[in-house]
Amino acid sequence: MKKIVLMTTALLMVVGFSNAVMASPEEDRQIFLNFYKERFPNVPQDDYINGVYAIDPVGRENWEAIEEFPPYETAIDAGKSMWDTAFANGKTYSDCFPDGPAIMSKYPHWNKEKGSVITLPLALNACREANGEKPLKYNKGAIANIVSYIAYESRDQVTNVVIPKDDPRALEAYEMGKKFYFTKRGQLNFSCANCHLQNVGMVLRTEILGPAVGQTTHWPVYRSKWGEMGTLHRRFKGCNEQVRAKAFKPHGEEYRNLEYFLTYQSNNLPLNGPGARK
Amino acid sequence: MRKTKYLGILVLAFILVGGIGCATASSDKMSSMKTEMTADDATAAIAAADAARKKAGSVSGEWRDTGKIIGEAEEAAKAGDFAKAVKLANKAKVQGERGYEQMVSQEKLRLPSYFK
Amino acid sequence: MTISKKHLVGTTGLLISVLSIPLLTTSMAFAADAGNAVAEGKDLAFDRKKGNCLSCHMIEDGASPGNIAPPLIAMKARFPDKAKLRAQIWDATAANPDSPMPPFGKHQVISDAELDKIVEYVWTL
Ligand code: HEC
Repeated sequence: MKKIVLMTTALLMVVGFSNAVMASPEEDRQIFLNFYKERFPNVPQDDYINGVYAIDPVGRENWEAIEEFPPYETAIDAGKSMWDTAFANGKTYSDCFPDGPAIMSKYPHWNKEKGSVITLPLALNACREANGEKPLKYNKGAIANIVSYIAYESRDQVTNVVIPKDDPRALEAYEMGKKFYFTKRGQLNFSCANCHLQNVGMVLRTEILGPAVGQTTHWPVYRSKWGEMGTLHRRFKGCNEQVRAKAFKPHGEEYRNLEYFLTYQSNNLPLNGPGARK
Repeated sequence: MRKTKYLGILVLAFILVGGIGCATASSDKMSSMKTEMTADDATAAIAAADAARKKAGSVSGEWRDTGKIIGEAEEAAKAGDFAKAVKLANKAKVQGERGYEQMVSQEKLRLPSYFK
Repeated sequence: MTISKKHLVGTTGLLISVLSIPLLTTSMAFAADAGNAVAEGKDLAFDRKKGNCLSCHMIEDGASPGNIAPPLIAMKARFPDKAKLRAQIWDATAANPDSPMPPFGKHQVISDAELDKIVEYVWTL
């Protein structure tokens, strides 16, 4: 009996403590939104899907000119033909994704059986492998094409990341993504938050630092600097490497959890991928 | 009697000079003490650097260039420039150590004051 | 005490002179290099692979500076103690954990000798 009482008190203490230090994902999202609202009182919430151009009127003009002849159109077309073409075994992507290509808002999500976050590229490669096809490389090329097509077909959807309550590991994954976001990394010792929160709107040499909210709505992106399409995790890699940290494996645990955390902060924002950036 | 005292001073002098010698040597990573680096020195320094790099990686704290610097050290060793190899390896080792410390010091998430 | 004073003085004198040779030569070299140090410090401060200060700070005639951090002006007034300025560049997070400034010395982005030169330059601003 004494033991049970002791254990319960210990448990209550732990729960009480973690409640005190841990904000809920929804509270985090409100903190992000309020932070940006205070910095940029005139930017309407939905405009954050345009990334840094929501707060950079000069860059926005160039970008709008680019969007008139979208550089990602060929990627959408190539992705559509991938979707429509049968694998060697005669099956297609539709056999794995019976709801069709408009499925962007379902990712990333928590998978209870696997005990991990599932991103869209992971699901696409799982489908390929189940059908005897080689998995695609994650950063660019064919994967960016098929995700571009899916993103385009999903354009009327909104971001809707769910952290299911029936599996505490889902919240843990979110918290790990959050920790990653605030951890200073690399020889230059920057966290994601140092640039995209603390110094948002400021100029780093020639680049204006964009807000975190809205950063996930428009992938893949045709980036002028790359001269081609790239995926979200390719951008994670770039942002890690510019502070001289070693990048992590695309769709490995670190970046999966980071995507889970980061995409959550864009909840309720429309999906507008694929996109173009400088 | 007088002899012992004299000896005492000598010993003291040696300790002093020796101590300073050591201090400068260690701040120069022993390079001033030993100018001729051998293949074994290079192998040992590279192994130590790689261990430090891996230790940083074990806490997700590896830096971008550490592996590259170790590669350069290996190449210098292959070319017979052991002094250069040791110098590069030592640089990589410090990177590994700092990267490890960087992550361990942030083991517990500390939200910045601006996040509120 | 039976040792003669002469001996003691002799040994100490010898010790001091031996020790001060390197000290003297470095300080002499320093005086001659002071002007150079400022010029070299400026190059290092502007070098994108070294200090890259312009990335975040406005500095006199530096092209396309960032504005993340305060402009580098009136540095002697802001850092009367040169050692404090050096400490700030060595590791700014020691004084303020939220500072986004890279710990240039601690993380060996620049060497100690390079850091000294940058300090010399920045202190002239
Ligand atoms: C040294 C500053 C810096 C750090 C640290 C940094 N970024 Fe970035 N990031 C940038 C800049 C500059 C851009 C390009 C301008 C923009 O869109 O904000 C960018 C762009 C991005 C984009 C693309 C935005 C878009 O609209 O397409 C994403 C996503 C992103 N960063 C995520 C991250 C994540 C996650 C981290 C932490 C791993 C991180 N960044 C760390 C500077 C930084």
